[in-house]
Amino acid sequence: MKSVEIPTSTQPAVYKSNLKPIWCPGCGDYGVLSALCKALANIGRPPHEIAFVSGIGCSSRIPGYTTAYGFNSVHGRALPIAQGIKIANPDLLVIAAGGDGDGFSIGGGHLPHAIRRNLDITYIVMDNQVYGLTKGQLSPTSPCGAKTVTSVYGSMEAPVNPLATVLGYGCGFVAQGTPADLPGLIALIEEAIRYPGFAFVNVQSPCVTFGSPDWQLPQHKKTLKKLIELGHDPANRLAAFDLAQQYGEELHVGVLYRNPNPPVTYDQLVRQRQAELAGNTVQKDRILEMFKVA
Amino acid sequence: MTKSFGSQIRGGESSCRVRLSTSKVLSAGGVLNIAIALNWEDYNKFGAELPIDEETLVIYEAASQTPPDALPLAVKPGEAIAVPIAEIARPFGDKSKNMVVLGLIAGWTGIAREALLHGIEKKLGRKGPAVLEPARQAFFAGESFAREHPLAVDRTLSPAPQRETPLLLGDGNEVCAAAALFAGCQFFGGYPITPSSEIMHLLSREIWKFGGGFLQAEDEIAGIGSAIGASFAGKKAMTATSGPGMSLKTEMIGLATIAELPLVIVNVQRGGPATGIPTKSEQADLLQACFSSHGDAMRPVLAVTSVADTFATTVEAFNIAEHFQTPVVLLSDQEIAQRKEAFEPIDTSRIPVIDRLRPTPEQLDNYHRFAAGADGISPISQPGTPGGNYLASGIEHNEEGAPTQSGVVHERMLQKRFRKFDALQRRRDLIEIEGDLDAPIGVIAWGSVAGVCREAVAIARENGLPVKLLVPRLIYPVIEKVYEEFFASARHGLVVEQSFQGQLYRLLRMYVNVPDGFISLARPGANPLIASQIARKLEQIASKSLQSLYV
Repeated sequence: MKSVEIPTSTQPAVYKSNLKPIWCPGCGDYGVLSALCKALANIGRPPHEIAFVSGIGCSSRIPGYTTAYGFNSVHGRALPIAQGIKIANPDLLVIAAGGDGDGFSIGGGHLPHAIRRNLDITYIVMDNQVYGLTKGQLSPTSPCGAKTVTSVYGSMEAPVNPLATVLGYGCGFVAQGTPADLPGLIALIEEAIRYPGFAFVNVQSPCVTFGSPDWQLPQHKKTLKKLIELGHDPANRLAAFDLAQQYGEELHVGVLYRNPNPPVTYDQLVRQRQAELAGNTVQKDRILEMFKVA
Repeated sequence: MTKSFGSQIRGGESSCRVRLSTSKVLSAGGVLNIAIALNWEDYNKFGAELPIDEETLVIYEAASQTPPDALPLAVKPGEAIAVPIAEIARPFGDKSKNMVVLGLIAGWTGIAREALLHGIEKKLGRKGPAVLEPARQAFFAGESFAREHPLAVDRTLSPAPQRETPLLLGDGNEVCAAAALFAGCQFFGGYPITPSSEIMHLLSREIWKFGGGFLQAEDEIAGIGSAIGASFAGKKAMTATSGPGMSLKTEMIGLATIAELPLVIVNVQRGGPATGIPTKSEQADLLQACFSSHGDAMRPVLAVTSVADTFATTVEAFNIAEHFQTPVVLLSDQEIAQRKEAFEPIDTSRIPVIDRLRPTPEQLDNYHRFAAGADGISPISQPGTPGGNYLASGIEHNEEGAPTQSGVVHERMLQKRFRKFDALQRRRDLIEIEGDLDAPIGVIAWGSVAGVCREAVAIARENGLPVKLLVPRLIYPVIEKVYEEFFASARHGLVVEQSFQGQLYRLLRMYVNVPDGFISLARPGANPLIASQIARKLEQIASKSLQSLYV
């Protein structure tokens, strides 16, 4: 990739690569890309200090559309790779992203563990309630009754509730946004990145091709409820649970929960342990001395 | 020392076989010189793992009330002695039976009495005299019994000569972990699985001291995933597992292949498929190691041949991974991984350590991650390096890293990813050949079975048979020329391995014209291959091949 001149005052354009997205015109993911680049510009870390990891799916193409060090991996595995990167180099700003199928279905087993380990990683899910890249199958967040190519008579399954799920797992920062409120989404992503610990942002990012025609950005715009206007206190985890229960019924946007006392992160503990034990390092050429018999 | 268990946690049958010699021990050995059965039911659960012949001294628990001429064994041993082990041990506590047995062995063979007492003190001394003293007394009681009951045939051994440099003692898993640290491994991600977990145990304790990081992942996929992430971030990384975990990691191995990220994946083989016989050794994951990926993907496969060799071969795995920017599968097996072996100190200053090729400042001015020279290798950047930004991806990509669906680009990148391994065809040093180079009989073996075959070939050569041995440490890619040269003189012989299918034999036939006179000697896991039996087989082959000259 061509190296990028970094201007002194960081502009969002610095974070956008010259690759043309494969997304359909009108896809919500354009808004997520735009919001992310603006949030990164506000934070100001240069692209080479950012590692941006994804799985597979339409939305997982997003790292390639940025100038960060990107990793478009395999389906469902963004979080393990992101954690390896962060442990290996805690100085990096690490972001993971993907779709609802990637994060809650095939990769769903990684989510509780990424949350409980609490590395300083931001995880953005573009939740469109459908499999787009494979052309319109049922997804883990498709509502019960949804008619898709694999549920022609209507889905018989209850959907995953991403917000309640991550709150239940103990996530320290939980937010939901929509590209229909771009300034709000920029602020959420920026706050998530600045949160010192694992931060989860669910973005309602509608699929124009396979998603419900009744649940596109214009409808978001009309129905969204800003949590700040509802008087929600993001430090109140129980109130956050109450709001999360309404996933699929109400479009709440804003920070549901932000731990007012963020605990120490795994990556900080890695550093501490390395520092504590550094004095015990043996010379590499003496490494076999551990096999001496006393 | 080789331990063997059923797959229960506590209680149940367990065996421990120890092989001692003043010369180099190359395998766990075959038929037992001395067999000790604390009870016959458990002893016989091990079947062929604890073989007895007409020479063996059998010591067994007298309380079993088995007459010496009616032992539940297929073979009549050389001598059988019933010892009231439990009764002798009783005054010294429940756990003293093992100490009585040590005393018996010391008494009858004269083996290292002082060393055994030192060992007992080392093991139990910190538990205080209330534990140590009864153990010592139990040892003495066993020794007295032996003195009072001399054997029919004297089995006293002459004392071992003093050594100037003491041997080191470790198992294959520990040595593998230590070698990883020596090679500069700074990240381990993995999931517990028998019989590889000890690699993880040691690294979880030591890696921090080398500035590294560690993750016990939620599953096998996350284990390798985190290691791939760490490699992307610029650190030497490793994961370790056993068969079932290897199956789960397969997709990620393909990812590391196409993203060209260095990574060492250790598979400590056990009996499969699925759960199989998880605590027993087998060599049936070779074809999986070479071929388990969708798409045209290639990764080097190395195999350790002893505990001591595990050190150099593990470092080699890192060197190849880093130099060629590829996942490398390092095959060990339960036999090597979990046996304690005494080995000569290793001169580590002679073992090179290689790091991945990084871009120069000039290359970073206009960086193309996957642009390659004639050797197919591209300088690899890492996050944090200005100008080195690129997209790593499992999707096919062009030289810049941009995703593509083009068949032309796909073919070009496949050529690049395969071309880089051409250089491995020159690594003759990774195949060991012993014996007369023009011998007409040959043996090929790998992994823990290589040690057995070294002994078999030594026996056969002592008997005047012209035999040579080939042991690959780099198994895949197959270094074709070396095998062709080997087969130039050796038109008859054996490919010996511990699998049902004979996987190395089949692999070689894919790449090399294996002479018809070479046959597969393959037995599945938990069925030991015994050096003397292989030597006999070689004699049969030799006599047949000579006969064929006159037909």
